[in-house]
Amino acid sequence: MTIMKSANRYLWIGYTAARSNLAYGGEVIYRCSFLTVILYIFLRLWKVVYAATGSDRVGGLTLPQMVWYLVITEAIYLSAPRVASEVDEDVRTGRLAVHLIRPLSYAGGHLSRAMGDRLVRFAINLTVGSVLALILVGPIPISALGIGMFFATLPAAFLLDFLGMFLIGLCAFWLESTSGLALLYTRTVMMFGGMFLPLAIYPAALQPILKVLPFASMLSAPGVMFVNPSLLLLKESIVIQGAAVAVFLVMVGFVQFVALRRLFSNGG
Amino acid sequence: MFRLFVDYLRLCAAYLRINMNAQLEYRGAFYTQVAAMFINDGAWVVFWLLFFTRFPVLHGWSLKDVMSLWATTTAGYGIAYGVMGNAHRRLAPAIAQGELDLWMLHPRAVLPHLLLGSTNPSAWGDAAFGYVIYFGFVKPNVQQALMFVVLSIVVAVVFVGFGILTGSLSFYLGNASTLSDQWRDISITFATYPPTLFEGKVKFLLFTVIPAGFISYLPVQSLRSMSIVDLLIAIAGALGVLAAGVGIFYFGLRRYESGNLISMNG
Amino acid sequence: MNRGVEIRELKKNFVLTRWKGFSRTVSEVVAVDRISMDVPEGQAVAFIGPNGAGKSTTIKMLTGILHPTSGNVSVLGFIPWRDRRKLAHCIGAVFGQRSQLWYHLPAGDTFELLSRIYSLNRSEFIRTRDVLIERFNLGPFMDTPVRKLSLGQRMRAEVAASLLHRPRVLFLDEPTIGLDVIARQELRDLICEWNRNDGTTIFLTSHDAGDIEHVAQRVVVINHGRVVVDDNVAAVRRKYLGAKILRVQFHDAPRPMVLSGVTTLHESGYEWKLQIDTAITPVRVVTAAVLDAGSVADIAVEDPPLEEVIARIYCESRKKVPI
Repeated sequence: MTIMKSANRYLWIGYTAARSNLAYGGEVIYRCSFLTVILYIFLRLWKVVYAATGSDRVGGLTLPQMVWYLVITEAIYLSAPRVASEVDEDVRTGRLAVHLIRPLSYAGGHLSRAMGDRLVRFAINLTVGSVLALILVGPIPISALGIGMFFATLPAAFLLDFLGMFLIGLCAFWLESTSGLALLYTRTVMMFGGMFLPLAIYPAALQPILKVLPFASMLSAPGVMFVNPSLLLLKESIVIQGAAVAVFLVMVGFVQFVALRRLFSNGG
Repeated sequence: MFRLFVDYLRLCAAYLRINMNAQLEYRGAFYTQVAAMFINDGAWVVFWLLFFTRFPVLHGWSLKDVMSLWATTTAGYGIAYGVMGNAHRRLAPAIAQGELDLWMLHPRAVLPHLLLGSTNPSAWGDAAFGYVIYFGFVKPNVQQALMFVVLSIVVAVVFVGFGILTGSLSFYLGNASTLSDQWRDISITFATYPPTLFEGKVKFLLFTVIPAGFISYLPVQSLRSMSIVDLLIAIAGALGVLAAGVGIFYFGLRRYESGNLISMNG
Repeated sequence: MNRGVEIRELKKNFVLTRWKGFSRTVSEVVAVDRISMDVPEGQAVAFIGPNGAGKSTTIKMLTGILHPTSGNVSVLGFIPWRDRRKLAHCIGAVFGQRSQLWYHLPAGDTFELLSRIYSLNRSEFIRTRDVLIERFNLGPFMDTPVRKLSLGQRMRAEVAASLLHRPRVLFLDEPTIGLDVIARQELRDLICEWNRNDGTTIFLTSHDAGDIEHVAQRVVVINHGRVVVDDNVAAVRRKYLGAKILRVQFHDAPRPMVLSGVTTLHESGYEWKLQIDTAITPVRVVTAAVLDAGSVADIAVEDPPLEEVIARIYCESRKKVPI
């Protein structure tokens, strides 16, 4: 019974967060114009590259697939909610102290709010990006199964990103300001997650490292799954995403534990 | 005429001093913002490094060319908004909220005085980054170094002029901050990509509505060719953008002084 | 030659556009309706009126920020909107609500900046600055960031800053707002001193009757864009500021009290609020009678709010037919 009540509560938090996002019409327009510019510029970039290499595939993808890949990764990247700064503020104002008594409910509250935020923004970005891609390069071959597989990679991707930002926010216990760290994190995700270039294109020397890092699961995996789905890739992704989530959960748990100890020893 | 110029230079120095003093009262926050901008710009250097490792040439541009582009753009941006912080996002709201009145009480030309009034702390990160990239990565000889310094100032002039232009929209459209910011962000985005990617109508746009061409094309052209003619063209372009901005500002200021900016929504 | 302020038939209309959906109505609002007056150099004028009366519009035209629709203005021999910059060297302004001191730095840093803005000769600037620091008693906190100063200290520094370039005319807008009684009096004394000793013309806008009475020699009341009263302070005080408000709180029920010139504005429980017409009965007589009426716990005498006074002035002036 209490689990049902908790689930309801978290769903409600998510729903409210989603609604408050839709109110920001101006932000939507801003993001649309930005997406248009980026997609156009990268289309030009890829056109030049494809013409120069003389083949119609680069990194295993055709030009339209490359543009759609960017639509997906941008849609995910630009939908990131401001978890790190919220948690940072909780730490500094002391609101965290109250919530840490029940650590699961604190993280859970943030998670549902973040997911509510994220889903709305992602939906908007995806819609706008898709329309633009259709205009610029036309559709790419997709199947219902492929779409299903693509959506299967999203929950873990979003969860991983959330855990990463949550961790950064918790660092407010030790750092004067987490904004620099948060920026470093988002840029690392951008670069090592393969936002602009599918990871297959990266230098061979980097491939082993990239496989091990969790960032690939956040952007590249869903991106590739949309344009070029394969069961093998799905199996790989699930394994890696699962492992990454497990590792992150352990890290978050550990950091929260240390933070709690510090909180109680310092008196909050 | 010359004495007037020197007088305004001294005013500029005085504002630089007081702006930096104000920033350094909170050193931690200042250095954090500078570092953050380094990280931001650095991410893009990483991107281009990865890109050029895989695709060595882009329409005649090499990694060094793109690095020069980023160096001049960030250095110019940094100098522009480090020295004239109010040209960055502050002009539109200042006009809309009647702050011009306060500036007009001083015995100075409104526009330059107003622009000097604040500094944008993260812009110093951009300026430092630009110079570090150019001298550390591109490794110029003496002539190129001199050309770079001059060009960073030329690009700064474009950024200031464009900031004035977009900010002055408030004279005509009420509080136009969002529109100004968007216009400016789009232009800056275009300015960080090799202009050789674009052709025809878009290229025309890049020298008019979105003055990215004056930032990315002309200056890097001068650096590649090391020709004085190209440099002079770049300078002329920059002065053109500045003149357009200043013209639109003072035209709007005339309307402001007649008090007919006031319009209310019933 | 009178090098003060000369205003002739000053008029300012604003064109107001009201949008309702896609239709619009254009109307003309008269903000300043033919104001004429002369302020000789060295005079301290209180420029008062309700909000929206046209005060700030007039001052904007005097400082060159706004161009009038018609009329002539001469400030220190300059036409403000034509010679804005030249005039700006000779005028100063202090705003109670807006500071020109840099918040996170000591006042001294702003002083240095101002010397550059006004292109002041270095040694002259240092001399003037030191005199101001001494007379305004700024020495103890010249090196303290402005954000750490009390409001009284900050306002003293603000007024001093506005005098660094030795302006001939000083515009003060609500300079004592938010200050405690002592700080207010200190500031008024300093402004008075500068006016009387240095001959600086003062334009004061304030909602505080005390400011007006202590600083100004002349009161100009503006309402609906027109000059409604233009007289010296003593006359205005006599005609319009002759009322005082007395509030008293008793320990227990007081004996009823009746005095000519005294009206009860409010009475509840052990509290009285009385209005005294000082022309009929002086305050000390009323106070003595009140102290006799019962055991007094608390007693206070205040000026009626200026809004009331101005409203009364306007009502009375409407009885005279305006030209």
